[in-house]
Amino acid sequence: MMNRTVRVASPLRSYTGGAATVDAAGTTVSELLADLERRFPGMRFRMIDEQDRIRPHIRLYAGTREIHAITEAMENEPVLHLICALSGG
Amino acid sequence: MSLSASELDRYSRHLSLAEIGRAGQERLRAARVLVVGAGGLGSPAALYLAAAGVGVLGIVDGDRVERSNLQRQVLFGESDIGQPKAVVASGRLHALNREISVVAHAHELSPDNARSLIGSYDIVIDGTDRTAARYLINDACVILGKPLVSAAIHRFEGHAITYLPGRGPCYRCLFPDATAASAASCAEAGVLGVLPGVLGTIQATEAIKVVLGVGEPLLGRLLTYDALEMCFREFPVSRRPDCAVCGSAPRIVSLEDQSERGAAVRRIAPGELEQLIRAADRGGGAIRLIDVREPAEFAAGHLPNAESIPLDVLDRDPRPLLGPGLTVFICRSGTRSLRACEIAVRRGLLEPAHLEGGLSAWAAIVDPTLRVA
Repeated sequence: MMNRTVRVASPLRSYTGGAATVDAAGTTVSELLADLERRFPGMRFRMIDEQDRIRPHIRLYAGTREIHAITEAMENEPVLHLICALSGG
Repeated sequence: MSLSASELDRYSRHLSLAEIGRAGQERLRAARVLVVGAGGLGSPAALYLAAAGVGVLGIVDGDRVERSNLQRQVLFGESDIGQPKAVVASGRLHALNREISVVAHAHELSPDNARSLIGSYDIVIDGTDRTAARYLINDACVILGKPLVSAAIHRFEGHAITYLPGRGPCYRCLFPDATAASAASCAEAGVLGVLPGVLGTIQATEAIKVVLGVGEPLLGRLLTYDALEMCFREFPVSRRPDCAVCGSAPRIVSLEDQSERGAAVRRIAPGELEQLIRAADRGGGAIRLIDVREPAEFAAGHLPNAESIPLDVLDRDPRPLLGPGLTVFICRSGTRSLRACEIAVRRGLLEPAHLEGGLSAWAAIVDPTLRVA
C-alpha cells in the first residue's frame, strides 16, 4: 500500500506525540485512518463516529479535495489533511 | 461629508491607493464594525480597524483584564489589570484615533441581546473563545444578513474565513457541531502570543476589504496558518444544503431558539454560590462543586468540598458528571467552566451551572484568602 503524509490538526497532536505530520499507509481514507489508529490508539474515534461518519467538528481533505466519506480513495494525492475546529480567541 | 484636513493627513497613505482613495476612506468612515471578544484576536483587529478609520467600532467583552492576557492581548497594559476589557479597549482605541467613535459593550453576547447588538452594525469580527458564542454570532449574522469575519486559534495554529450571507457557506456549514472539539482553551492548551496577532490582522484586512468592496474575500475558503512551519494553506468550503441555519430548510430561524445551541447554562455569581453552599450545608439541597482546572492549579487552592476533574478529563469521560443535585463547574475565570457546561449539556446533564468570573471573582468578592493559581 502506498505511503502518504498525514497533516495533523493542532488539537489532535496529543495523539501523535506532538508530531504535525505522520506517515500512514493506504489507498483510501479509511485505510489511512485505520493505520493511524493502530499506531495512535483513540485518534480515529476522535474524528470518526460509530457509523463511520466524519464527526461534525472535523474536516478531511485529500490535498485540497474535501473528503465526504472515508470510503473515498486518495487517488494520486500524497497528503491527507486532518482539520479540527478551533475555538481559542 | 467630505474628509477633513486632519483626516486627509491621517489617511494620506490610504488615499494614495487607487483601491481606496477618498471615496473608499469615506466608506470606511461610514462603516460600523462590531468586534466580539477583546482578546488575542480582537485586540489587533480592533487596533487596525481604528487606525484605518472605521467610523464606529463596537467592542463586546464581559471579562476583566488579567495579567495572563498581556502576553497576547495588545490592547491592554499593566495598569489595566482588573479593569473591564471593553471599557479599557474603548479608551485605548479612542486614544489611537479620536476621529472615530468607539462603543464599549461591557457584557457577554447572549441570545437575548444578539439581535439588537449585531443588528446595529454592518460587519462582525468573531474573536471569541467559546464555541457556543461562535454559533450564536454565526446564526445572528446569517439571520440578519451581516458579513462575518471569523478566526480561531490553538497553540501554534490558526484558522480564518469570511462569511457573506447568501453568497457562501456559514460557520455551521464549515463545522455543523463543534461542541465535541477539543475543550482546551488558550488557558490550558497554551497559545503562542503572536499567533492571534497574525490572525487578528487578517480579520481586520478582510473587514476593510468587505467595506471597500475590493479584492477577493476569504469566501468559501478556509485559511489555515501554522506558525511553527510558517505556512498558510487554503481549503475550499461549500454551503451545506442541510445547514441548520443557512440551508434550504433551516431549523434555526430565531436567535432565541436554543435547541441547536444547547440548554441554557445557569450563571452563578460568587455571592449566590456562597449562599447555596451554606444552604446545602444546612441540608437545603445537594450541590456538587467540580473544579475543572489543572491539578496543579487545584492543589494551590480550591473551594472546600470541591472535586477536581480537569476539563480534558471531563471531555474524554463525562460519566462522573451523572448524579443528583445542582452541579456547579468552577475554574479560574469562568471560561473553562462554561466549556464544561457545554460538555455537560451535550452529555445530557440538564441545566449545569458555573461560577461566573471563576475563583478570581470568588477571591475578590467572598474570600480574599483563597489562593488562585
